[in-house]
Amino acid sequence: MNLVRSEFLKIRTTNAWWLFGLGAFAMLALTFLVNALGAYYALSEPTPEGLNPDDAATFEATRDVVYQAANLYTSGQFFGLLFVLLLGIVVITSEFQHQTVTTTFLSTPHRTAVILAKLVAAALAGAGYWLVTTALNIPATIIFLSTQDVSNQLGEWPVLRSILLNLLAYVLWGVLGVGFGVLIRSQIGATVTAVALYLLGTAAGAIFFTLFANWLDADWISDLQYGLPSIASGLMVSGTNIPGQPVFWVGAVVLVGWSVLTGTIGTLITRTRDIS
Amino acid sequence: MSDGQIVVSGLTKHYKNVRAVDNLSFTVEPGRVTGFLGPNGAGKTTTLRMLLNLVKPTAGTATIGGQRYADLKDPLRTVGAVLEASSAHKGRTGINHLRVICGAAGFPRQRADEVMATVGLTPAAKRKFKGYSLGMRQRLGIAAALLGDPQVLVLDEPANGLDPEGIRWMRDLLKALAAQGRTVLVSSHLLSEMQLLADDLVIIAAGKLVRQGTVTQVMDSMAHSAQVRVRTPQVEELTSALTALKATVTPNGEGALMVAGIDAPGVGRAALKAGVELHELTLERPDLERVFLELTAGKAAIR
Repeated sequence: MNLVRSEFLKIRTTNAWWLFGLGAFAMLALTFLVNALGAYYALSEPTPEGLNPDDAATFEATRDVVYQAANLYTSGQFFGLLFVLLLGIVVITSEFQHQTVTTTFLSTPHRTAVILAKLVAAALAGAGYWLVTTALNIPATIIFLSTQDVSNQLGEWPVLRSILLNLLAYVLWGVLGVGFGVLIRSQIGATVTAVALYLLGTAAGAIFFTLFANWLDADWISDLQYGLPSIASGLMVSGTNIPGQPVFWVGAVVLVGWSVLTGTIGTLITRTRDIS
Repeated sequence: MSDGQIVVSGLTKHYKNVRAVDNLSFTVEPGRVTGFLGPNGAGKTTTLRMLLNLVKPTAGTATIGGQRYADLKDPLRTVGAVLEASSAHKGRTGINHLRVICGAAGFPRQRADEVMATVGLTPAAKRKFKGYSLGMRQRLGIAAALLGDPQVLVLDEPANGLDPEGIRWMRDLLKALAAQGRTVLVSSHLLSEMQLLADDLVIIAAGKLVRQGTVTQVMDSMAHSAQVRVRTPQVEELTSALTALKATVTPNGEGALMVAGIDAPGVGRAALKAGVELHELTLERPDLERVFLELTAGKAAIR
């Protein structure tokens, strides 16, 4: 417990957490606007004519109030998770950047305990981001839905489930960040790689698997993109099942898998590494 | 068992092509300041890092009060270490740096303020680390080492970057800590400083032990390298008299002769026999720097 407190104090006594928070807030405002706009059209416009049956089914599903409400309540997730990832990375790489890792391992020679404390601290920080994001999303969504003459939908289990699974996503991305930071110790290197992988990798992965699936005419290949952590997080918080997508809990399983994997590899590496 | 004796035994560290530390053994006693000397690249830092469980030895052990660092129950209450001056987050204030350590070690928060006062940094406590001078950084490092009121202190090049007043402060502090019965191990390449500070010396070069003992013992072990300075108006006569006794004579460029291989009474006797007039006859003990250079000569620092 002392260790987690100490790790949390490390986060609190430097600037990264509120700078990233500011970034997450700005992106939250932006994505909420975009989501609200999307919801406005989806809820008011009829399904366009002339779509093929598959697309029409997808479109129909997104017109569902529950789907839109879940989407709005979890606004800002894509970029919020990116900032949580970065914070997780900084939690570990700043120790190497500023050579404080020496002091840290002198206070606690049991390195596994240090990494575990960092994982917990990053996860808690992620939960903090979720708390603030959600505290802003809930009133904003309620206001928006009421302008559309729709009730707040908070009584719907899929909506609540999305909000709670969104918490899980924020927590796990903190863990992912620490695991990633152990693998690439250079702060600049790790941050740039993470941002590039997150933004470009997500898009590239989605396009790659979709094209590949079309080419081979095998739908299961398209589903492989949900193995990417960022796409998995989005899937996890979808309020309703969109045709052609795996079920929400597949996303949760994938994300937990990634977190366990990076956390374990990171811990094992750190245990034996020379600090000089 | 927690008398604070440091025992290094057969310690070895191989990097890819380099034996950074090679079968090194020595002991460090409590109640004394021990200087850990060696040229740059001799393996001092690697040795200290192995002692502190930061670097994994290829072979051998290093114990503090009979225990490996990793096995210490309360490491910061047993050992305080200052390894590099720049080891704090640039954007964190000095006092918060200490509070983070207090948090991890389970010390009360006020302990941070207390050691801040001990090292005279209280006025700068709330300033960020990036605004600290090198001397202030060293003081903060020492403050961190003192947090747990440890029995053993390990310092790697603590005098680096300190001004003369800072060096004096550090010397007094370390001597006082040793006088309280603590073990103080200080690595340095500043020899003149060690001569003033250390009671014992451990000298290594190329990863191997060269000498260990009290400062006097180490100096005496090099007594053969003592020279006699002599002045005479009859340089040639004296030179031939001395070389006949298998001594080596070299002019020191300031009108005096430096004689090696014979003691001062020997020079006097030879001069009397040869009827040579002497104006000066002095035994020159080598200073630590000369001893050190001789001991480590030929063991290239860059390997």
